[in-house]
Amino acid sequence: MKKKENLKVVVAMSGGVDSSVTAALLQRAGFDVTGVFMKFWTAPSSGKGGWNRCCSIEATERARKTAQQLGIPFYVLNFADEFKKRIVDYFLEEYKQGRTPNPCVVCNKEIKFGLLLEKALGLEADFIATGHYGKIQCATQCKLTKAKDKTKDQSYFLWQLNQKQLKKVLLPVGGYTKKEVRALASEFNLPAAETKESQEVCFIETTTADFLKKYLKQKSGDIVTPDGKVVGKHQGLWFYTIGQRKGIGLSSGPFYVISKDMKKNVLTVSKDKKDLEKKELVAKNINWISGKEPKMPYKVMAKIRYNSPLASAVIKEKLSNGRLRIVFTKPQKAVTPGQSVVFYKGQELLGGGIIC
Amino acid sequence: MKGIYLDHAATTPISKAVLDEMMPYLKGSYGNASSIHALGQTSREAIDESRERVARFLNCLPSEIVFTGSATESDNIAILGIADFFLKQGKRIHIITSKIEHPAVLNTCEVLDKRGVEVDYCNVGKDGVIDVSDIEKLIKENTVLVSIMYANNEIGTIQPIIEIGKLIQRINQTREQKICFHTDAVQAVNYLSCDVKELGVDFLTLSAHKIYGPKGVGVLYTKQGTQIEPIVYGGHQEAKLRPGTENTANIVGLGRAIEDISTHKHSTDVMEQLRDKLMDGILNEIKHSRLNGSIDHRLPNNINVSFDGAEGEALVIALDQKGIATSTGSACSSGSLDPSHVLLALGLSHVQAHGSLRMTLGRQTTEKDIDKVLDVLTKIVKKLRTISGYKKSLASERSE
Repeated sequence: MKKKENLKVVVAMSGGVDSSVTAALLQRAGFDVTGVFMKFWTAPSSGKGGWNRCCSIEATERARKTAQQLGIPFYVLNFADEFKKRIVDYFLEEYKQGRTPNPCVVCNKEIKFGLLLEKALGLEADFIATGHYGKIQCATQCKLTKAKDKTKDQSYFLWQLNQKQLKKVLLPVGGYTKKEVRALASEFNLPAAETKESQEVCFIETTTADFLKKYLKQKSGDIVTPDGKVVGKHQGLWFYTIGQRKGIGLSSGPFYVISKDMKKNVLTVSKDKKDLEKKELVAKNINWISGKEPKMPYKVMAKIRYNSPLASAVIKEKLSNGRLRIVFTKPQKAVTPGQSVVFYKGQELLGGGIIC
Repeated sequence: MKGIYLDHAATTPISKAVLDEMMPYLKGSYGNASSIHALGQTSREAIDESRERVARFLNCLPSEIVFTGSATESDNIAILGIADFFLKQGKRIHIITSKIEHPAVLNTCEVLDKRGVEVDYCNVGKDGVIDVSDIEKLIKENTVLVSIMYANNEIGTIQPIIEIGKLIQRINQTREQKICFHTDAVQAVNYLSCDVKELGVDFLTLSAHKIYGPKGVGVLYTKQGTQIEPIVYGGHQEAKLRPGTENTANIVGLGRAIEDISTHKHSTDVMEQLRDKLMDGILNEIKHSRLNGSIDHRLPNNINVSFDGAEGEALVIALDQKGIATSTGSACSSGSLDPSHVLLALGLSHVQAHGSLRMTLGRQTTEKDIDKVLDVLTKIVKKLRTISGYKKSLASERSE
């Protein structure tokens, strides 16, 4: 093994506090650090330039300033075309099909731990690092576990990674709480110390509905209740997501979106929250982080959305088309096609799939 | 490690002689050239002398020289100024430019396009050179301006300015509405004759920082008798075309830099030999590499090559990490998202247009530098191609 000072790490620097601290921590640990800023796709807007939360000029400048302060080389990588093709187009296509995608999951696999990793290896880097809250431990096999700060844990978004990628990734802030990271930022005197959290989808300026309206046509149809009664009109099924309560536009509510029938162009709503509950789901595009499939049935803790709690479940079987059938101990609210179902065993992230 | 600088088309180092001449105007002689007192006069004299030096170089009258803040500004003053002259009279006008112009010209023409001016963007051949007959075909009754660059900033191809000048002069003989001819000569000034009479141009743009002078100063040659409206208003400076207190030190630096070009003419031959060595080395030793743009009609310091399976951006960064400064296309477009419009105009695909590497030599480039670059570049391309292979293996590991 090379000495640490000869180990080269490319750090994805967004200008935010987590990635800035990532770079500073790795430098302090003695790595040879290079910073890169990834320029993503920006939606054309009427004002100057486009708009992308994570790629504003301020963010670039903050990242550059941080690199300058640390005295590390810094480059801006232009991923706009690839980001548009692999993330935004996917995002729109999923909505068009009536699903609710999670672009960050795909971005991690395709862009951050895909394209960026390739570029970094081209620069003879030994590792890449990001400011994700998660932990990676590699012996003969690499394991991905939850971050120290359980409220900030982002392992959910990393379920599509594989062994080859994990071997090359460092997530140093995963070992700290957000509070500690903020304290470190002040200690290192980093420009990002005071920056706000970013949580939304980076290429959406206002709301998902506003964004979709620009790219997807309206296609109105009936809104019905589970007993088949027509209660109103919808503007296009892609503007609605399972479990949605606000913005349906019906009086005498509240109503919840419980299903979408793309073929008939019908939106089904219900006043009864119970109608949202499901005990079972089928998932596709399965990834096992270890690269090995466990024997089924297999007991896990599962998460069907980033913000939903862990729930006890059993992966019953692998269907003939490679999909998995998962049964929960207790019914789950708003099981949404397109979102990721992610499996844990203790602290360890085992893998996941896309809900069908 | 001493760095190797191969990005002279982006900017050049400031020469010692230039800096030495500028220093007095940055330190003691701060007078405003328009002031009546002696301190002001010192600045005025220095500016006048610089104007004469530039006029000698361009073979024109000192009164035809307008000092500006940059070549971009010169291009804007010329194009918008000519258009405004006619637009104020309510005329419908037509402008011809090319698809491979610098953004300073291209984007300015696009603005006019949006304001209702007809604009034609002339095609270039696969070799990146304009065919004069293509220009001729585009000329209409209401054509008032042709703006074609002298040498391209990305691929270094030299355009037939003399021939276009002759064409326009011939056409103008029998025309009531004369056509103005503007050329952006920024990249050409170091290497090609810029005798405006020989070129037959009415307007010519140049910049100091591409000829070992300071940044932030340019020139617009404006032929006597040409009709142009100012685009910025203020004082009387620079024939009212570029009002604002003159940047004396920069103007002095420009004068010196332009005068020094002739004393460096001999080194151009050496530069061309070095360039050929590097170019031949790349094309012979690195498989699946190709030169973008003509070999024959090309600036002696420019190489623009593409490699299959290795992206321009990755090459530039990898070379930088080895202390070698290069560029993908032009420095001006590296902040933008689009592939090179120049390479697209040559008929390259989007992927190919993203994969180019530009290396531009300068006065300081040595044979040792070239040997080193060739060695490092060969290894980097090989490495990057291995990664492209890695990319495929990564993809295949992903499920479904």
